[in-house]
Amino acid sequence: MAGHESHPTAPPKPRATPEEMRERKRLSRQRVSDDSEFITVSMGPQHPSTHGVYQAVVDLDGEIVVNTRPNIGNLHRGVEKLAEVKSYHRFLPLTDRLDYISSFAMNHAYAEAVEKLMDIEVPRRARYIRTIGDELCRLSNHLLWLGVHVMDFGAQTFFLICFRDREYVMDLWEMLCGARLTHSYARIGGVAADLPDGWVEKCRAAMEFMPRRLAEYQRLVEKNRIFLKRTVGIGIFTREDCVAWRVTGPSLRATGMERDLRKTEPYAAYDEVDFDVAVEYDADVYSRYLVRMKEMYESCRIILQCLDQLPEGDYINQDAPSQTFPRKKQVMRDSAAMVQDFMQTFRGPKVPKGEVYKAIEVPKGEMGVYIVSDGSSIPQRLHLVTPTFYHCQATPALFEGEMISDVVGIFGSVDIVLGDSDR
Amino acid sequence: MDSTVEQISDALKSVFGKLEEKFGARLLGSSVFRGELTFLVAPEDLVEVATYCKAPEGLGFDRLEFLTGNHYPERIEQPFEVAVQLTSMATNDRLRLKVPLKEGQKMPTLSSLWPAANWCERETWEMYGIEFEGHPNLIRLLTDADFEGHPLRKDFPVRGLVGGRIRTDLKGKI
Repeated sequence: MAGHESHPTAPPKPRATPEEMRERKRLSRQRVSDDSEFITVSMGPQHPSTHGVYQAVVDLDGEIVVNTRPNIGNLHRGVEKLAEVKSYHRFLPLTDRLDYISSFAMNHAYAEAVEKLMDIEVPRRARYIRTIGDELCRLSNHLLWLGVHVMDFGAQTFFLICFRDREYVMDLWEMLCGARLTHSYARIGGVAADLPDGWVEKCRAAMEFMPRRLAEYQRLVEKNRIFLKRTVGIGIFTREDCVAWRVTGPSLRATGMERDLRKTEPYAAYDEVDFDVAVEYDADVYSRYLVRMKEMYESCRIILQCLDQLPEGDYINQDAPSQTFPRKKQVMRDSAAMVQDFMQTFRGPKVPKGEVYKAIEVPKGEMGVYIVSDGSSIPQRLHLVTPTFYHCQATPALFEGEMISDVVGIFGSVDIVLGDSDR
Repeated sequence: MDSTVEQISDALKSVFGKLEEKFGARLLGSSVFRGELTFLVAPEDLVEVATYCKAPEGLGFDRLEFLTGNHYPERIEQPFEVAVQLTSMATNDRLRLKVPLKEGQKMPTLSSLWPAANWCERETWEMYGIEFEGHPNLIRLLTDADFEGHPLRKDFPVRGLVGGRIRTDLKGKI
């Protein structure tokens, strides 16, 4: 974890107090003068750097952004409507398509919520596998983010370097569930299949290798004068703003707030592994970069611990036959398991009446699922509380008083996937 | 009610006690499920209750987690419902307020209390047709500007009303 502070070209980074951050944001907003004519510029939805089909119509006073009208919805697929005609099992693959960069984390968020509603246990081995999966998602998500974010500032090669190493994570996913992008690997009460032979060794090798590559990235990025000039002190978003706009995840932790649902309400196996919450204090674009960089090191650490402590046992709950699938191998041998599989596929699980809200920490922030059940095997209402929706909503406050040339970098620094916001 | 209150954490019990004490009979009801506390609030009391929930000297639920609607066609009197989930950043407690609404009944906006409620209310309006009084910009958010109907209402078909064919009637209009 060395190398955060001690590089020669980085400017001194004092720990800003919340008052100082507010003052800086206020000064930045003061640059907007009231009595001039504005130029209106439309960025997106086909703009190359808006990270998906997001449109921002910005009013400019000279080069300074005065007002932003964000426009989302170009990727709207009506997932919440579809949830009301599908059983709980059948909806799970659709959660992949929300944040398609980290699909397993989305599966996991949904499965956790349904398990809370049904009140069923997840076997310890499955919880460990889920923790590993979540962290692999975090790693691949942050690697993609890092490549694209640095590319926003003009470094084209770095994008390909990040993708090269993201490939190690993708290979692990491919070996685990056959898919590289849309995993659908979680199941209600566990995961779809056990770890394949040789996977643990391959994963361990990749995770021991990855920190060395991350250190290489740090050398490339943190000594780059252009990157530093365009990120340090830019795009300040204070803690109060974050709470008011429900901005979560690395952007919130970059304001000095130690809020990580993995620590505050531990799920899966996060209470059994040792890790630090990555926190930075300056609330600017550079701090958000540092938080994600630290999180990648922590992810490697968590995965290695999970692999060391990986317990034996079932990968899916076998004590709730009216709510979970049986082990796939049993289905072809055991008639009871076959009936269970058939009933789960065609009738769906038995669910009590009630409503729950469960949130977990996905790579982009806090992802929550709100389910209203009327006692049938189909949700009466399912609402997906996705982090990007709120991050896109906060963009007017985020861009206000900043330079137009920084808009793309600031927007990239909050990490956006439009599939997540449009649902 | 009193038997289920035992299931929630001590912090939520004190929240329950404070809300009951402050608003008493004006709250329409409460329920507990899986350790989550839900209160039913009338639309005219919502702003007052939400302000008390948000204030640091009140209950300190300083973050809006989500705001969304729901449609129960089988309830004749009040078929709509708006759910508001609040989180306290200091203690990580969660509280849900639910507002039953009649068809066409308006609801006060919460976007002046929490800026994050702005888009949630726009989405709730476009999906359910629930109007929010005092909202600064109540226009469609996720669907097209020329979309008709409120898609998350239970009587709206899953296939949509205009799906499956190419619209030719818009030629020259867009």
